[in-house]
Amino acid sequence: MSPNGKNNFGTFGQQVDFSPVKFKPIRAEFAKGSTPGSINRVNRESTWARWRRGYELATATSYTNAFDYSFVYTIPVPSGTPAPGGNQPAIPGVFKGFPTNNKEFGMHWAGVRTAGSLRFDNIKDHNGTLASIASVTADDDYYYVQLTGDWSVANPLPPPLYVTIPGSPVGLKAINGEVLEDRVITSGGVPITRDTINPATQRRYGYTQYVLIETYPFTGILKLKKAGSVEATPDRSLITPASIPPNIGRFLITGTRYCCSCQDFNQREYAFMTNLDNKKNEYFPRSNVSSVKPGRFEIMSLKGKVDNNAMTDGTTNRDMQIISPAPQYNLPPTITATSTTVPGTTRDNPGVFRDFGYIYLRSTANPSLQGANAEGMPDYYDYTSSNNQITSISDYWTPLLDEKRYCKHIYAMKFAEGVFPPEPSDIPVEPDSIAEWEQKLVKDLEKQDRDQMYEDMRQSLGYMDVPPYNCQAPMMMPMMQKLFNIPAQFVKMQGFTMYDKNGQAYVPSQGEMPST
Amino acid sequence: MTAPNFGDIVETTFVQSPEQIDTRKYGFSEIRVSGSIPAVYHAGDVVHLPYTSGETSTMEAVGLAWAAYISGVGPA
Repeated sequence: MSPNGKNNFGTFGQQVDFSPVKFKPIRAEFAKGSTPGSINRVNRESTWARWRRGYELATATSYTNAFDYSFVYTIPVPSGTPAPGGNQPAIPGVFKGFPTNNKEFGMHWAGVRTAGSLRFDNIKDHNGTLASIASVTADDDYYYVQLTGDWSVANPLPPPLYVTIPGSPVGLKAINGEVLEDRVITSGGVPITRDTINPATQRRYGYTQYVLIETYPFTGILKLKKAGSVEATPDRSLITPASIPPNIGRFLITGTRYCCSCQDFNQREYAFMTNLDNKKNEYFPRSNVSSVKPGRFEIMSLKGKVDNNAMTDGTTNRDMQIISPAPQYNLPPTITATSTTVPGTTRDNPGVFRDFGYIYLRSTANPSLQGANAEGMPDYYDYTSSNNQITSISDYWTPLLDEKRYCKHIYAMKFAEGVFPPEPSDIPVEPDSIAEWEQKLVKDLEKQDRDQMYEDMRQSLGYMDVPPYNCQAPMMMPMMQKLFNIPAQFVKMQGFTMYDKNGQAYVPSQGEMPST
Repeated sequence: MTAPNFGDIVETTFVQSPEQIDTRKYGFSEIRVSGSIPAVYHAGDVVHLPYTSGETSTMEAVGLAWAAYISGVGPA
């Protein structure tokens, strides 16, 4: 996928250099019925490759180097709301840097929101009843968790589980897609760990981890996905999928949430605007014709003017504009005898967007039949947006099991945590070449870690952008909103408290710096 | 074991052995840092964030932010 042949995750073959005189017809096949198409194949193989590269990254010497920027983000309250007293509404987390020579400023920044940031033991119904797990039912693929309380159309689940939109029968469900864990035994209690002993039984409590797929606000039910679930057993083992549903009587918390600013996670391509390192990089963004798809991209602006600066000072906040295909350009949902297409469909910003590693679904199986659904715009399972806000992450991050969404950096962090994400079940289908590819990967990375890493580190340290000053940058802002799961305009520089290498807090918006 | 305070990490997988710290390198250059810990929070940490009555919890603040967005209200 990469024009220079580097970071070739998906094809395991030599890349053809770009040349406008060598344009040829697209030879890839698209999916037909149950036959996987070329895009599905690339996604599958790239998933395994990212998992494998993540392991190499986690075990490399460089992982333990201190490119970690710990923070606590204080969520600002809306205008007109009294300032919160006591403990501030806080999101603890860390930015972790991964040196790279594929980025102008030499560093991929991954973001982590720690588990336990959002807790359900503060959620109450209109009678003041706390929303613990009351009961659980199941079907083949999902668990349905009934939260304690009196929920109805007049008294739905409170925000952020459900945000009523005036004049609309459908509200916003901002928490869909979060990883939930049943780790709080009593309201206000300390989240249990794998080692916590139940004094009544003298056995470990154990807990489960599920992805929230859907929220039913008027009945107080949460739909959790069985596939990809994890269980910490009383034997202190982690198993997947979980063998039990969430435990009745407990309170849910959110699990660790990951985001990354790399190309694979953001599905955004970079272009180099300088020659800081005197390397032969692409100075103008471009996309192969075959990979230009209708999609979306974001523009950052300051006081109405486009502002793509990598960093700002500690108090400057920019606005984010999301550009996405206009709905009137979509093909009609149902084909009729008079169906027509609308030319001029909004396309990607060439060179910015690419579809590597994401999931989209065609909308039909029989596009030629009258009355069938048209094979129009794909449905994007990236995120949903409205009025320049990312309103939900809609590809349902499965924390484990054949995940197509994680980049190698997120896989590396999970390996380093010791959870050892399972190997994707679909490995590339050419056994000889994959063995050869894997051996070459290990050999190349060994040499890179020994020799080239020094140069990469030196370059990255010399040019890198620094959190949180880069959090208003075009490639960071969408990531920050996904990470915090709040509207982009509530991601403000003033909310960051950082921690230096000695654990001392400093507030960049007040001009404070890390200790030396 | 004492009860954790607000914001304390109750579970972490980030443990570096003295050998790991001693052998950290950039290429051939050893790294020397003055602190014993390179960061406070790490991937995989679980934090203790209990809120008492009258406080605005993180969950409630996220809800306030999304509700404000729906109403067209920005942050203070």
